[in-house]
Order: sequence, then C-alpha cells, then structure tokens
Amino acid sequence: MSSSEGHAHAARPPRWYHAHHFDNIETQNHAVRLGMWLFLGTEVLLFAGLFLGYTVYRWLYPQTFHLASRHLDLSLGTLNTVILITSSFTVVLGYNAIQRGNSKACVRWLAVTILCALGFLVVKSFEYRHKFHEGMLPGKFYSYEGLQLPGANIFYAVYFLATGLHAFHVIVGMSILAWVMFRVKKGLYNAEYHVPVELGGLYWHLVDLIWIFLFPLLYLI
Amino acid sequence: MADIELGTNNPAAHAVHGLKRYVFVWLALLAGTVLTVVTGRMDLGEANIIIALAIATTKATLVVLFFMHLYDAGGVNRLVFVVSVLFVLVLLAGVFGDLMARLPVSLPNGGPVAPVEMHGGAGHEGPAASPEHP
Repeated sequence: MSSSEGHAHAARPPRWYHAHHFDNIETQNHAVRLGMWLFLGTEVLLFAGLFLGYTVYRWLYPQTFHLASRHLDLSLGTLNTVILITSSFTVVLGYNAIQRGNSKACVRWLAVTILCALGFLVVKSFEYRHKFHEGMLPGKFYSYEGLQLPGANIFYAVYFLATGLHAFHVIVGMSILAWVMFRVKKGLYNAEYHVPVELGGLYWHLVDLIWIFLFPLLYLI
Repeated sequence: MADIELGTNNPAAHAVHGLKRYVFVWLALLAGTVLTVVTGRMDLGEANIIIALAIATTKATLVVLFFMHLYDAGGVNRLVFVVSVLFVLVLLAGVFGDLMARLPVSLPNGGPVAPVEMHGGAGHEGPAASPEHP
C-alpha cells in the first residue's frame, strides 16, 4: 500500500515513530500513555465543574429538578446511551485488531465507531430542536408552559451546558478517530506501533464515561 | 521486531486480550443501562439517586478497567486517574460543606424548599408523560 503513497511517507525511515530520546519504544509508549491519562484527568475536572453546578442547584431546587427531568425524552436518551456504549465497544475492537496487526479490521471498527458518533449527534439534534421549539431554554429564554417552577430555567441551563460540552467532545473525538482511521488506512500503524489508536480510543471512552453519568442525572432522577 | 523486548518486565506493554472479555463488558454495560432506566422509572424516593449513581459508578468502573485497560496498566497511570476522581470528591465536599453551613436566607431561593405546593404537585405529572415531537 505504500508504493503509491508519494514522497511524504516513502521517505520514512524504519521505526520512524521511535523518538531518539527514549531508550526503547515501550518507554516511549509508557510516557505517551501517562501524558494521555494526565490530560484525561483534566477533562474529568472540567466536567466536574458542571456536575458540581448540577448538584448544587439540584440541592436548592429538588422538586423542580425532579419534575424537569421528566420532561426530557427518555427513549431518545436511552437510545443515545446504547449508541455510545456500543461505540466504546467497537473502538476497543479496533484497538484489539491493530494490536494483532490487522489494519483492515481496525479501519472497519473505527468507521463503525464514527458512524455511532454521528448517530449520537443526530439523535441529540432532534432533542435540541424539540426543546428549542417548546421553549425549554436556559435563563430568560425559558418559556415552556408545561413546567412553570422556580429553577426550571436553571435545570435547562445545566442541561444545555453539560450536554453541549459533551456533544462538543463527541465532535472532537469523532475527528480524532477519523484522523487515526485515515492513518491506519495508510498503513502507518502495525502490531508493534499503534499507540495513537489506543489514545484516540481512550479519549472516546472518556466521552462515553461522561455520558454514563449525565444520562441518569439529567433524564432519570 | 525481534530486537524489541516486549512483555515480561515491562508494565507499559499491554496484553492482547481475546474478544470474550470485551463482549462480556459490553453486555454488562447494556444490562446496566436497562437497569438504570427500569429503576429510574420507579418511585423510590431518595433511594433513586443512590441506585442510579451506584449503577453509573459500576458502569464507569467497567469502562475504565477493561475498555481503557487500566486493569493492565502500570501504577502511575492508575494513580493519575484515581487522584483526579479524588479531587472531584474534594471539590464536591468543600462546596457542600459551605452550602450546608449557610443560613437559609443567604441562599438564592431561601434554602432547598420545594415550592411545588402552590402549583399543586400532582398536576405536573400530566404533561410530563407526553414528550411528543413537533
């Protein structure tokens, strides 16, 4: 597959991915993974701010938050949960495939994952459209007749901020996986070197992880 | 490839697992989702939150350990993630310590009082059941 690729990759020396300041490739992988986990730690703390906001306002307006959660579309929320969990499963299958050096299967699983991500966004956009239509909006834009309680607009502020930031992460994760998939397709990764596939997967699992908590907190309780 | 030492003395090398464990975790996560929805729909009062968070934490642990391979990872990576979760708990504890120590009048709505009585709580369950689409 590399013969028709042009000069960019034809010029790559063997083991091009091994940076000279690391003793061996495993030391490099270890450092790279640690960096990724540190980044994921900051992502957890970023979302922690929103979860904290949710918790505080839920404590201040327990009844409103309970009733407002009943006005979200549970079946669409559940569908999106299943989609995201399945996409986490397919991305790990992609990683497993490249670990075995099977880049064709890896590309296939990454493509399925990206399709799942797209599906998630489509479902989410239907939900958003419905809420815009009904006036279930944050702050002063709130005009929904079905739930007129103090704090309802705060619930929707938290809802849109949390799911919006999460959807942004879905878009970023999808782009990363698409980039990784492109590079797998080029034959840049193999059984020995595939740490970018792993890290893209880790990011995607984090997106799933956040949703695992957002879903019950927003839609169910 | 022979000149690279993989495995044994290297905590950073990930084992290649069979597909079985991934399928199992996936099914467990789907089962957890069903359980979340079923228990979430029941009216169990305060227990609802605890059950939902317990299921979510279990699901998250499965993802972190087996999909994100922290189960196979070396000590440092585990430490980083556990510490970040720990700091989330510190944040929550600090803020709630502050909230609980306040006089109700200093809170934005005069404290966590359910103001639903004046609207007739039961009446609001009606529109809740019909989240139709435009």
